Amino acid sequence: MKLLFDSQPIEIVPTPNGYDVLFDGQTHPVEIARLDKASGQIEFRIGGIAQSAYISFDGAKRWITLNGQTRMLTKTSTARRGARQDSTAGLTAPMPGQVRSVAVGVGEAVKKGQTLLTMEAMKMEIKIQALMDGKIKTIFVAPGATVEREQTLVEMAE
Amino acid sequence: MFTKILIANRGEIAMRIMRACQELGVKTVAVYSDADQNALHVQFADEAVHLGASAPKESYLNRDKLIQAALHSGAEAIHPGYGFLSENAAFAAAVESAKLKFIGPSADSIRAMGDKAESKILMKKAGVPTVPGFEGLETEAEFKQAAQEIGYPVLIKASAGGGGKGMRVVSQESELQDALELARGEALNSFGDERLLIEKYIAAAHHVEFQVFGDEQGNLIHLFERECSVQRRHQKIIEETPSPVLTSELREQMGAAAVQAAKAVNYFNAGTIEFIFDPSSAQYYFLEMNTRLQVEHPVTELVAGIDLAQWQIRVAAGEKFPFQQKDFMQRGHAIECRVYAEDPASGFLPSTGKLLQFIEPHGPGVRVDSGFAKGKTVTHFYDPLLAKLIVHAENRETAIQKMQNALKNFIVHGVVTNVDFMQAVLAHPDFASGQVTTRWVETVLAVADLAVEKNKPTPEQLISAALAEATLANSSIAAVERRNESDPYSPWRQTNGFRN
Repeated sequence: MKLLFDSQPIEIVPTPNGYDVLFDGQTHPVEIARLDKASGQIEFRIGGIAQSAYISFDGAKRWITLNGQTRMLTKTSTARRGARQDSTAGLTAPMPGQVRSVAVGVGEAVKKGQTLLTMEAMKMEIKIQALMDGKIKTIFVAPGATVEREQTLVEMAE
Repeated sequence: MFTKILIANRGEIAMRIMRACQELGVKTVAVYSDADQNALHVQFADEAVHLGASAPKESYLNRDKLIQAALHSGAEAIHPGYGFLSENAAFAAAVESAKLKFIGPSADSIRAMGDKAESKILMKKAGVPTVPGFEGLETEAEFKQAAQEIGYPVLIKASAGGGGKGMRVVSQESELQDALELARGEALNSFGDERLLIEKYIAAAHHVEFQVFGDEQGNLIHLFERECSVQRRHQKIIEETPSPVLTSELREQMGAAAVQAAKAVNYFNAGTIEFIFDPSSAQYYFLEMNTRLQVEHPVTELVAGIDLAQWQIRVAAGEKFPFQQKDFMQRGHAIECRVYAEDPASGFLPSTGKLLQFIEPHGPGVRVDSGFAKGKTVTHFYDPLLAKLIVHAENRETAIQKMQNALKNFIVHGVVTNVDFMQAVLAHPDFASGQVTTRWVETVLAVADLAVEKNKPTPEQLISAALAEATLANSSIAAVERRNESDPYSPWRQTNGFRN
C-alpha cells in the first residue's frame, strides 16, 4: 500500500511477521504485538524495541500519540489509490491470508456493517464487512482459499 | 446537612462538587446550556435543569434562571464553583434573599475584596503588606514624584482594572509621560474610568497564594501556600505546593498575614489570598483575594489531607470546622497541570472539536479531575479547561517525575492540547530549580520551538501512521482482532456442554 503523509511518501508491505514500512530509501521491519481497535492502540516492535501508539482518524487527518508526544499528520491521496477505498461494491482482501469462513450466500440481502466473511492473516482474524446495504452478487472465494492483498473477495449490488 | 444542592457551573468543577455531594449523601441538581446538553456533568447529576442558549449570559451567568431552577427543583443551596457568578456579590445576596444558601463567603466579604484599589486600602489598614505605591494621584508631577519615591521601575495600572488592560511598566522617568497617557486612554476605553494607581514594579516575581478556610462561627485558619508562577496570558497553567521559594519562617509569616487579611473582611468558607513574592528581597505583597474555591485547590487537598469541596458544603450547612491551625502540616509535594484545549504553538489559542480519544492516566498518587470524556464536544463558548491532572509524591523531585509520566499517558485526540507543552515546562532546568517567575513562559521559554507541526515527523510517527492505515483504517472492511488475545482455556470456548 502506497501512502502519502504530510507529503512524505511511505509504502507498507505485509510480511510473515508484520509489515515492512519503506520511506526515504530505508526499510523498517515492524512486528505487530497487539492491536486494540476500540482504543486505536497499536503495540509494535521496530528492531526489537517495543512501541505503543494511539491513532485516531479524523477525515484525512491522523492524530498520533507516541512516547507521550501527540501530533497530527495529514494523509493525501496517492496516484494509485487502493481499490478498496474507491469501490464500495467490490470488497478486497486488506492483506494476504486465508479465508476462514463465508457467512453469506449469493443473492442474500445484507446490511451495512454485516460480516460477510472472515480471513486469517498474521495470527489475526479479519472480518470483511459490508460497506453498504445491498445484495451479494458474487462470492469469489471459499473457506480455506489463499488470497493475495487487494484480491476481490465479494462483489455486491445495490 | 442539605438534602439537595444546585451546582451553578459546568465542566470539571461541577463534577468535583457533585462527587463531594454524593459522598455526603446530598442530591445534586445540574444546570446546562444548549451546548452542554450531553455534557458529563448533566449525565452525572441526579437532576438537570436546562437554562437556555449557549452564550454564558443566557445560561451560566443568568442569576434569575439559576435561582428559579434551584427553587423549582427543591434545592436548599447553590454552589457557584469558580468563574461565572462565584465572585458576584449581587448574586450571593440574591441567593440569600431567595431563602437559599450560597455556598461560599458572605456577599459583604465578596464586595469588600472585589475592587482592586479598595481592597488594597483595606489591607494596608489591616497591616497586611501591599506593593509600595500610591492611589488617587492626578497630575503628571504627582506621578513623577511618586515614582521617584518608589524607585524605578514602576507599574502604572488602572484602578478599576484587570486582565493587564491599562497597565504599563515604566523603567525610567523619560518614559513616564507617554506611559501615563497610554494607560489613561486604555483604562477609559476598557473600564470607563481613567483613575490610575502607581506602584513598585517587581520584575522577577513569583505568584504565591495561601488557602484560607473558616466556618461561620469565626474559626479561620490557613492551609499553606500554592506556587502558581507558571502562567500564560496572566493565567495559571501549573501549580504546586509547597512553594520551592518559601522558607518555613516566610511560610509562617505569610500564612499569618493571609489569616489577618481574611479576618479583616469577616471571611468564612474557602478563600485564597494571593501574594506577589520577590525572591531577590524575600518580600511579599498582597495582590488580591479570590473569594471562592480555586481551580488549583486539589494540590492543597493532597498535601494538607482535607476535602475542601466537602467542607465548603458542611460549613455552609452550619457545621463547625473542627480543626485548628496546629492540626495541619504539609505532607509530601503535589503538582497540578491544567490540561487545556489550546494550541501553545499558535499563541495558546483555544482548540475546539469532538474528542476522538480521551484516556486519563492512572496510578498511585495520580488524580484526574475531569469534565470531559471520549465522544464529548469542546465548544468555543466556555473556558477550554478539559481536565486537571494532579500528582502527589514524597518530595518535589519525585512529584515532577510522576507528573511527567502521567502527562505522557494522557491521550487526547480531536482537539489540540497543552499536554506536550507542559512536559517541556516540567523538563526545563528553570522549573527543576524552582526559578520560574510569572513572565517566564513569555520571556524565557521558546514556545515557537515547541511547534511540532513544523518539525519533520519522526520515523516512528510515520510508521505508526502507516500501520494504522493497514490495520485500523476502513473499519467497515477489516475489523481486526487478535485471536490469541482471548483465553484459550476459557470455559466459553468449550463445546462439550460444560456451559449447560
